[in-house]
This record gives sequence, structure tokens and C-alpha cells, in this order.
Amino acid sequence: MARKITIEPVTRVEGHGKVTIHLDDAGKVKQSRFHIVEFRGFERFVQGRPYWEAPVLVQRLCGICPVSHHLAAAKAMDVIVGVGPDKLTPTAEKMRRLMHYGQMLQSHALHFFHLCAPDFLLGMDADPAIRNVIGIIALNKDLAVQAVLMRKFGQEVILATAGKKIHGTGAIPGGINKNLTPEERDQFLKGTPPPTIDQTIEWSLAAIEIFKAYHAKNKDVVDGFAAFPSNHLSLVRKDGALDFYHGVLRAVDAEGRKVLNDVDYKDYLDHIGEEVRSWSYMKFPYIKSLGKAAGWYRVGPLARLNTCDYIPSPLAQKAFEAYKAYTDGKPNNMSLHTHWARLIELLHSAEVIKELLLDKDLQGTKLVKKGKKVLEGVGLIEAPRGTLFHHYRINNDDQIVMANLIVSTTNNNEPMNRAVHWVAENVLAGKPEITEGMLNRVEVAIRAYDPCLSCATHALGQMPLEVVLRDSRNNILQRKVR
Amino acid sequence: MIGFGNPGRRDDGLGPAAAERLSSRSIPGVVCDTDYQLAIEDALACSKYDIVIFIDAARGLREPFTFTKIKAAAAIPPMSHALRPEAVLAIAAELYDRTPDARLLAIRGHGWTIGEGLTEKAEKNLALALEFLEDFLKGNRS
Repeated sequence: MARKITIEPVTRVEGHGKVTIHLDDAGKVKQSRFHIVEFRGFERFVQGRPYWEAPVLVQRLCGICPVSHHLAAAKAMDVIVGVGPDKLTPTAEKMRRLMHYGQMLQSHALHFFHLCAPDFLLGMDADPAIRNVIGIIALNKDLAVQAVLMRKFGQEVILATAGKKIHGTGAIPGGINKNLTPEERDQFLKGTPPPTIDQTIEWSLAAIEIFKAYHAKNKDVVDGFAAFPSNHLSLVRKDGALDFYHGVLRAVDAEGRKVLNDVDYKDYLDHIGEEVRSWSYMKFPYIKSLGKAAGWYRVGPLARLNTCDYIPSPLAQKAFEAYKAYTDGKPNNMSLHTHWARLIELLHSAEVIKELLLDKDLQGTKLVKKGKKVLEGVGLIEAPRGTLFHHYRINNDDQIVMANLIVSTTNNNEPMNRAVHWVAENVLAGKPEITEGMLNRVEVAIRAYDPCLSCATHALGQMPLEVVLRDSRNNILQRKVR
Repeated sequence: MIGFGNPGRRDDGLGPAAAERLSSRSIPGVVCDTDYQLAIEDALACSKYDIVIFIDAARGLREPFTFTKIKAAAAIPPMSHALRPEAVLAIAAELYDRTPDARLLAIRGHGWTIGEGLTEKAEKNLALALEFLEDFLKGNRS
């Protein structure tokens, strides 16, 4: 009997995800789709608002990485105020970098310890009741303590640079509104509250070893799970180095050939198209020169380590060399290796934070520059989950008249669908019922990309994850709730 | 006191609004914090206090607000970045061996669209909730 499987973690308002898998009478996968409700309404919300409000307003898009939206909007507004994306004062650019790398650190640490480590350390078939941070505590309390403290460290860096935990105001058009005081700097160097930045670097190194140990014992799973070739896109520094804050847009194909060769991101519309499909709220971006069918790409840690030539910090570079050696220098197309890449980025973030903390420019007092205003600006940044595009036009009354945002989760729309399809074909197809372990494998595939499923809002009344099996007449055959 | 939610989603910001207003009243012995959503590091904060009050917006309440005693959760959802208060308490208990007396102040919200400011109805609910909470903090209510 033909069946339909639906996995739907429904949040209260929107930003929710849903997986639908149709099986035919023979139990083979007929179709699989991963839907995320996108919040395009936000682009209309900012219309009519003064441009200088955008860096604060856009943080309301997301409860997970508001700093990414804050900085991407600020970069676009740098252009609009005539300063340009790479002409800030040294203090302003380095404060923004500190804010951003602090965010990368806390986000990557949360992802690994809270969302990924339970799968690896407790097993994909482990009881969901313990396959979480509580299970990690029982298994390795020190690791869980590290998770909490690394998150806290990153959050404190954000607080010190953005000024507030919610709706930070640090980045403003043309610069920044505060520097880092010596007291704030010493807090991170000396560890009050703990940990110190040196401790954070040490824990980041240890996290890579955890992944490598798991990989050594589970090569088939880690290498084979949801592995498929794709293009990869990210910002890179002009010299090809990994850079999360600024650079040029580069894409490589599955073999490493450059398919987007270090272009200025202000021209992104010349290179990136967005396909609309009738069944999805979320668009499907693609590289125009390759066309809709072949031009889709991955973004995020896996993509970044495929596009960059090297990592400009010594410990992360060493880890990167080992990572690249595993694929003989070719692009890595193994979805679960995203976690490996994420941990190398975690280490790099910690190293960059230390370098910035020791830079006296952070105590500088030249915070803002002004230039000749223009009516349009594009800002790009590498958010924890991948490339984030912000594009605005204003009128002569300084009001925003157009906003176009392509968020990381949208960029990864097609890869996430491919990953779900892989699980449907290789794990679910032909099975008489859904087990918790099978369900978790769908989540593992999605989780590698760390999409913002819980974006924007939350509160009491959140519904649990629901899995429904339906026959060809839409009757419910099986329903799972957790 | 931890008020959490997204102030850019109208009444979803009831939690932060409540914490900020209480903070401005400088009540002795009360520390107020705000957050978009609860995460694992909030367990560390919870472990340092005798009483923790979580304040959140709620959908579907009949009353303007509810104030309930809560305990550590037995299970934590595996898919989300955000945690429920009960999950934060569970982590505090397991990680720091601390189980503060915890309450959840749930304030009824009415509007959840993208936008700033609370709805008029939510403002009224918030006022009632804060009046109750101040009484509680003075020891007049349990």
C-alpha cells in the first residue's frame, strides 16, 4: 500500500519544518520533501523604516543567530552611508569581527555539544529521552561543563561588543558604537567568569579529537551517511583564506573547479538566482551560470572548508590540513563531515578571538566614518550556518523601500532535501514501521545543516515532533509523537 | 528572574518586558535577566540562586497569567536549539547538583506577528502579572 510519512516539528507561529515522504505500493520512495516555513514577511516589515534602524530591526528574524543579521545589515548600511564594506576604522572592523567570531564560537559549541554529540556519543538509536545534553552529562560530565562554559564565553563576547543580549546595538552604519574596555578584555583573557580564551582553545582542540575518535570507529556511517556531490559556496578573503566577516564570493563544484571565481558580492544578483517551487514556502537558490538543475549548492562549514585555500590561524590550519588530506585535497561532499568542519571553525574562532583580544585597536576611539550616501547596499556575511545575504534600497527620505534577504537555511534548501531523500531511500524505504532510530536519522540529516527550525518565536504551547504514516487514501496508519 | 522571548514578535516579548520592568524597580535581592530563548548556559545561572522565576509569553491561556511551581524535566526534545525551563532545571540538577525553587510565570499573549510593542490586551495582562509578582516577592503570596 502506498504510504506517506510526515515529520513535523511544529512551532507556535512559524519557522517550522516538516518532512513528507511518499512511499509507493512496493515500499520504494516515490517522493520526499523537506519544508520550512520562511519568514518573508520580515522584508515587508522593514519597508518604510529609516535605514539606520535596520541593523537592530533585523535581529528579530532569529533567536539563534541575531548577530549575523545585525552585522549583515550593518555591512549593507556601511555601503549606503558611503563608507563601503572594507573601509571602516580598524577599531570598528575589529570590534565587529570580535562580535562575529564570538557568535560563531557559541553557536558552533552549542551545535556540537547539545545537538550533534548526543548522536555520536550515545548513538543514533539511543532512547530520545537520553539522547541529549542530559545523556552527555551522564556519560561525560566534564564535556557538558565545557559545553555550558564555551556557550557562555561566546555570549559574553557578544554582550561586550553588541552592548545588549537582546537586540544589540553595537554595529551602526559606518562603524560601531563602543570599543572594548581593558576590563572587558581582561575578563576574557583572565577568565572572570571562566573559562579563559586559552582554555576555550584547548577545549576546541579536544572537541575535534572527539569527532576523530568517533570517525575512526564509524567510518562507514560518517563517510556514507547522506553523502552526495554538490557545488559549495561561501565568502573567502581576497587571498583565498577562510573569513567569516568579509571577502569575495567563491563557489567550487564537487571536484573543486571554481564555478564562481571570487566575484564582488554586491553583484550577487548577476550570479545567484532563486527558483520558486509550488510545494515549498522557501525558494531554491542556484548559481545562474550552471542553471537551476545543476547550480544548487551547499553553504556552511562544509562548504567554507571546500572553498577556502587555507585557514589563517595556526592550530586550525593544522587541523584543516588533516581534514583536507582525508579527501586528497578534493572537496568534501560527506554531509556528516560538516561536524568535523564545524569543529575546525570552532577552533579557528577561538584563535581569532584571542588574536583580537590582544590587539590594542580594540581600545581605539575612532569608531565611525562617514561618506557620501548612496541609495542601495548589499551586505554579506558567513553566519554559523552559511552565507547570509542582505540587500536594501532606500529613498531620498532615508526610508527602506526594498529589502531582499537570502538566509543560510534557504541557501541549503536543496542540500537538505537531498539529505532527507538519501535517508528516505536508504533507511526508511521498505520498512514496515518507523522506529525512533529511523526518525532520528532523518533529523541527523537535517541537523548536519543546523537549519533555523526554531527561529523567530517560541513560547508555551509548542507542539512536539510528530510523525504520521498515511496510506494512499490519506488514512493514518501510524502516528508518532515525542 | 529570567524573562525570555522575542520582542520583535509582539506579545512574544512579554517575558523580556516583564523582566525589564521589574529590573527598573530595583527590588532588593532580585536579579533580572532577559533572553531570546533559553539555552544550556542558563543552567549555570539557575544553579547560583535559591529561587528562579521564568517568565514567558503563553498562547491559549484563559487567564491573564498563571504562576506555577515547576520541576526538572524528565526528557529534553532532541531537535531544538532552545530549551524549556524544565529542561534548564534538569541540566542544573545534573550538572551542578542544584535544584532551585522554580516557578513559571506564563502571561497570556494575543498577537504574534512581526512587529514591535505589546498588544493592548497583553499590556493589561502584564500589569496584572507584575502586580501579583511583586506581592509574591514581598512574601505575600506563595
